[in-house]
Amino acid sequence: MSLRTDLSERWRALFRRERADQELDDELSFHIDQDVAARVARGANPDAARRDAMIALGGVSQVTQEVREARGVGPLEDLAADIRHAFRLIRANPMFAITVIVVLGGALGAATGVFAVADSSLFSDSRYGVSGRLVRIYESNSPANRFALSSADALALLEQQRTFDAIGFVRRGDVALVGAGAPERAVAAWATSGFFAAVDARASTGRVITRADELDSAPPVVVVSHALALERFGDASVVGRDLVADGVHHTIVGVLPPAVAELGGIRSRIWLPLKIATPHRRGPFWLRGIGRLRPGVSIDMAARDLATISQRLFPIWASSFRDQSAAMTPFSLRDTILGDAPKRIALFGAAVSLVWLIALANVATLTLVRASARDQELAIRLAVGATRGRVARLLVTDSLLLTTIAGLVGLTLATLIVPFARIVAAELPHIADASVGGRTVLFAAAATIVSGILITVPALVAGLGRARPLRVDSRRVGRDLRTSRLRAVLVSAEFALALPLVASAFWFVQTIWRLQSIDPGFAVAGAVTLNVQLTGPRYTEGKARAAFWQRLDDRARSLPGVTAVGYGGSIPPDDPDDVNNFDLVDRPARGGAEPTAPWNVISSGFLEALGVRLVDGRDFTAAEYASGSENALVSASWARHYFPGESALGRKMVSGGCTTCPPTEVVGVVSDVKYQGLDGNSDAVYQISNPANATSSRLVARTSISEDETIRALANTVHSIDADVLVEASTFRARLGDALTQPKHWTALVGSFAAAAGTLAALGLFGLMSYIVRQQRRDIGVRLALGATPQAMTWMVVRRGVRYALAGSCIGVALAIIAGRWLSTSSFGIQSASGLVIVAIAAALMAVAALASWWPGYQAAHIPTLEAMSVE
Amino acid sequence: MILFLQIIWRNSVGGDLLQGTVELMVLKALSLEAMHGWGIGQRLDQMSGEVFQLPHGSLYPALQRMLRKGSIRSEWRTTENNRRARYYVITPAGRRQLQDEIKSWRRASTALNTILAQ
Repeated sequence: MSLRTDLSERWRALFRRERADQELDDELSFHIDQDVAARVARGANPDAARRDAMIALGGVSQVTQEVREARGVGPLEDLAADIRHAFRLIRANPMFAITVIVVLGGALGAATGVFAVADSSLFSDSRYGVSGRLVRIYESNSPANRFALSSADALALLEQQRTFDAIGFVRRGDVALVGAGAPERAVAAWATSGFFAAVDARASTGRVITRADELDSAPPVVVVSHALALERFGDASVVGRDLVADGVHHTIVGVLPPAVAELGGIRSRIWLPLKIATPHRRGPFWLRGIGRLRPGVSIDMAARDLATISQRLFPIWASSFRDQSAAMTPFSLRDTILGDAPKRIALFGAAVSLVWLIALANVATLTLVRASARDQELAIRLAVGATRGRVARLLVTDSLLLTTIAGLVGLTLATLIVPFARIVAAELPHIADASVGGRTVLFAAAATIVSGILITVPALVAGLGRARPLRVDSRRVGRDLRTSRLRAVLVSAEFALALPLVASAFWFVQTIWRLQSIDPGFAVAGAVTLNVQLTGPRYTEGKARAAFWQRLDDRARSLPGVTAVGYGGSIPPDDPDDVNNFDLVDRPARGGAEPTAPWNVISSGFLEALGVRLVDGRDFTAAEYASGSENALVSASWARHYFPGESALGRKMVSGGCTTCPPTEVVGVVSDVKYQGLDGNSDAVYQISNPANATSSRLVARTSISEDETIRALANTVHSIDADVLVEASTFRARLGDALTQPKHWTALVGSFAAAAGTLAALGLFGLMSYIVRQQRRDIGVRLALGATPQAMTWMVVRRGVRYALAGSCIGVALAIIAGRWLSTSSFGIQSASGLVIVAIAAALMAVAALASWWPGYQAAHIPTLEAMSVE
Repeated sequence: MILFLQIIWRNSVGGDLLQGTVELMVLKALSLEAMHGWGIGQRLDQMSGEVFQLPHGSLYPALQRMLRKGSIRSEWRTTENNRRARYYVITPAGRRQLQDEIKSWRRASTALNTILAQ
């Protein structure tokens, strides 16, 4: 067969269909006329001749159909016809179409939204470097305690490491920008050239930081993000222009590509060269180390390499750092950035999948009913010669059209959900970059197609569209029974799937209640905190810093209403950054696994400002506060934890692994405060530190007047000393609220999924019971006529509805137990996923089921008997 | 999807003995002169000595398939009675096909005759 003629004939057939049909019509009528003429010429009666001619031809419409099929575009033509047919059906029954589109569109939208978030957070591996070879290097002295690197560490690594292709260092901070655009404080990062090499960052114009920029003598340069260039200069071609950062003129040498908002997990718009000065001591530990493993080098090999370097480094700085247990250790950068995000996203993936399945079951029952309503139509199609495959395709096309519309609705919905998720799930990594992109669209398309097929399966399974004798009788009892049974299974499944979701939502709510009832350990009312950060070249001198803190302390104490002021390293309720390892002299740890505890270094006034009480022993003396001491205070929880039933007073410990330092002695026990989140334990150790040398410190104050007023007064005091100092103030009331924000968001999300699931299940049951009552109208009418009470009829329907829900809930209980196990091992603060809750929720779902079946039952009770019996 | 594939399979691979025979006869008829559908039907009846009673309706799908194959083409002409009719004309490819099929038919029928003669 020649391809050219074949295609041209098919083309003609497809796109000139009307003309081809017209020609065929002409041809066939010519054929008949000719045949009639011939028969008449042989002496036949003209009417009989025409009839015989028609019979000889075999029916004009049949020939037309066969010729059309021979044109070879049958399937395509059929598809077009099916789609037209599906559109007609939508017009004929818009409520059905709207329900399907809303229910499925909603579920697909939620699923697509969650996928977009997961895609940006978890699957965009490019952010974590080539095939996971990027690592973050920490100092670590126990599995629970890891901290940043020091300059000494960094220089040793650069010199001695053998396991990395590239290694670099970076620290975050902020700078004051003046010059083009409004003056602002912007997040900035200082990074070495090795950092850019490790994360493989390139500039879209200009260059990134090079080794030459790291020299002390190098002129100040800066690399900016595309967003910053646009915002401040209105233009991306800013290479060579001047940017004043912290009062110093910097030349812009490069602009990062528009898509790059962060590098190596650090979100910054300004990148400055990090100049690592020759250290005089081992600390401070302030640098993030980022390395790219050499191909073929495992993270364990790198860990051994780094441990060797740490061992060599230790003796050099033993005078300033005595923690021999601390070693530089590599961790997968991906894991350090993601934290527990994968589990959180998995939860939402699971929740949204359940909702999607419930929506599918719901829509499947609807299509089942509709297909069964179309049973007669399909039977006629089969009787006049449609093949079974053709009818099946008709049904599938019909569902696919609706699901495609639902998919588009879902995709639109997802574009609305994603910006919402950026706010609600703000703590997920990379959430700011989440968007509906190509992969999300592909996901939506795949989910749509799968949905379209799945919602048709029950209709096909029910044996609809199977060839059989046409019946005039419309009471197709057997088939209806089968349809109803399938629907009942689907509705039960909805309840089975809804139960774990509703139970999970309840556990989340329970967790919020529990967190709200936890005593944070400090007097919330009247307590405020100020995060104060010194900036600019003025404070390079230690004396200038000490002077600032002293002046601030003096002036703050004399503010009206302020009763106590102090500095602290950690601020409750969720600031576990300062954690230290220690070894009890009485009970030494075995195998180097030393315990850790929040280690708060405080000045006088801190405990008083927070309202922390002395429980046993003594507070630090004024002399100790003034000149420092090796003594420590511990929290009551710490004392119970390490010396149960005994006094902790006078106990000695080696802190931070420093065996040559004088041991730390416990002189007092104070009341519990939460430093590791409301859900964390209340262990804490306090030692004295004055902020004399620090560039930043946290001030806490207690006031007897309005908190907001005190915050304003404190901020003004800071700025009256130096207007350029950064201040971030909050009340402890707000901090407590913030600590609950995230669990509240998660709860709201899970709760809305659960609400959707419960509603869909109830609606599904309502639909099924209404349908059953309609089908059995006649039977119920007969029963009522025979003397059954209306109440009995209502109860019959309600009992049946509850039975379906109960059947589903039995499976649901098993699913909920699994969900509970999983939730209580993940980081949502859910402690007891109790079976009692599951039973209670199952009972509540039964009540919902009873309610959903009540209205159909009520209608059943009020069927006019005579009318029902004469209907058919 | 499977049903869909089955349909395509049947349409492209199927084609039974009768269909092949009809095409052979149509090509034979058209090898003498161009004809319209009804004319072809009459000629086939004559040629087969009315042994085959081919429903004339099945002629048109066969003609459509042959058009697609390129063994014939069609054109609208005026008959001697001054009516417009669609005439079918054999193409060079159609003549080659006719020769090939006659040869293979002869071979097959010779073989069959030999078997039957034994």
